Amino acid sequence: MDKGFAIQFAGSFAAVALLVALAAWAKIAKPMSPLSEARARALFADEFPGKALDGLWVTNDGRGALARSGASALVLCEVGDGYAARHIPWAQAVAASFRDGVLKLDLADVSAPRARLAFDSWPPAGAA
Amino acid sequence: MDLLHAPFDPVALAVPFFVLTIILEIALTRFKAVKAHYETKDTMASLAMGLGSSVAGLLTGGAAFAATVWVWQHRVFDIPMTALWAWVAIFFLEDLTYYWFHRLSHERRFWWAAHVNHHSSQHYNLSTALRQTWTGGLAGTWALWLPLAFLGFPPAMLAIQKGVSLVYQFWIHTEAIRRMPRWFEAVFNTPSHHRVHHARNPRYLDSNYAGILIIWDRLFGTFQPELDEERPRYGIVKNLNNFNILRVAFHEWAGIAKDLAGSRSLREVAGYLFGPPGWSPDGSRDTSATLKVQWEAEQAAKKTDIAA
Repeated sequence: MDKGFAIQFAGSFAAVALLVALAAWAKIAKPMSPLSEARARALFADEFPGKALDGLWVTNDGRGALARSGASALVLCEVGDGYAARHIPWAQAVAASFRDGVLKLDLADVSAPRARLAFDSWPPAGAA
Repeated sequence: MDLLHAPFDPVALAVPFFVLTIILEIALTRFKAVKAHYETKDTMASLAMGLGSSVAGLLTGGAAFAATVWVWQHRVFDIPMTALWAWVAIFFLEDLTYYWFHRLSHERRFWWAAHVNHHSSQHYNLSTALRQTWTGGLAGTWALWLPLAFLGFPPAMLAIQKGVSLVYQFWIHTEAIRRMPRWFEAVFNTPSHHRVHHARNPRYLDSNYAGILIIWDRLFGTFQPELDEERPRYGIVKNLNNFNILRVAFHEWAGIAKDLAGSRSLREVAGYLFGPPGWSPDGSRDTSATLKVQWEAEQAAKKTDIAA
């Protein structure tokens, strides 16, 4: 690594730190409010077009939701000021670990390995 | 004139401009003069990817440069770096090469794995432009430019034009500019065209691969205008659920490795490597094509409901 590149890299590193600090100061992320059922439905419709929802459960903190669509569980969780969604077999969602009010789902996906959803109880009555 | 080494690097020269315009976009957004969104962790991931790509480029750039020089030493023509016609020719030919590189990088999984990080932000702002690949050199897409060296364009000329293209594409990563004048939108890649390219709405998938000139998309049937009634939703079909930079850089490669480990035939190996992103032997996963079909069916059903 030559000296010129090292200087350029150090300058760029400082610039990155400055820009990140500026972005944090500006507070211009997308406004996020806890999910409502209607908003969760709209997000599921965007993520899984054409899938009918047989049941929908929004988390206690409004930061995620889980829906049943036939044999699938559709999972939505907050990431930053956006959302990530995946689907897993419903039976797997029902059997997932639930402890201290947190449902831990193995999404079996390298780009979104796990989801943690806050519910009062799991599985919901009559949904298994 | 040194035909091997570019006398200047357009990208290095443009770095101060990149920094200043990001500051400007953030400041104007803060004071509500333009529309943009910056999420801190997302911005950090994008800029760290940009910083890391400059290091990754050092590691693989040598091989690409050596290959380019070797091919150029076996060139068909001697193209002078001082002739205006040569610069006009390389402007169009490099941009055409970029179009096919970019199309390949979206439509075949092996190369998508190197490019996906540029699309994994759910934001579309100037920092997204710097969310560059760490693995592009390893994916070997630089080989697509070798025919230009074989034709006789000097390596220095190629390096400058590739840099110019990259710098041009920086400013189009913004929501602050709605539309450019009609004549400009007709010929050049613009913020509007490129917003469509970064969108994950089924209607917008796999379109607008242009670098500088949008004419290639119009010519090869991949052009899709931005529609006022359908706002782009940014990101990838299956968004990441955290901002871990290693996951941003390597998740699709890890996904390929996992799929290859479970492959049962050469057909499956080929499909997982070189099929479209989302390909699976049983068709249980979604590709851009299947998502578009589902979306079209849904639109048709809605129209039928309205008519009824």
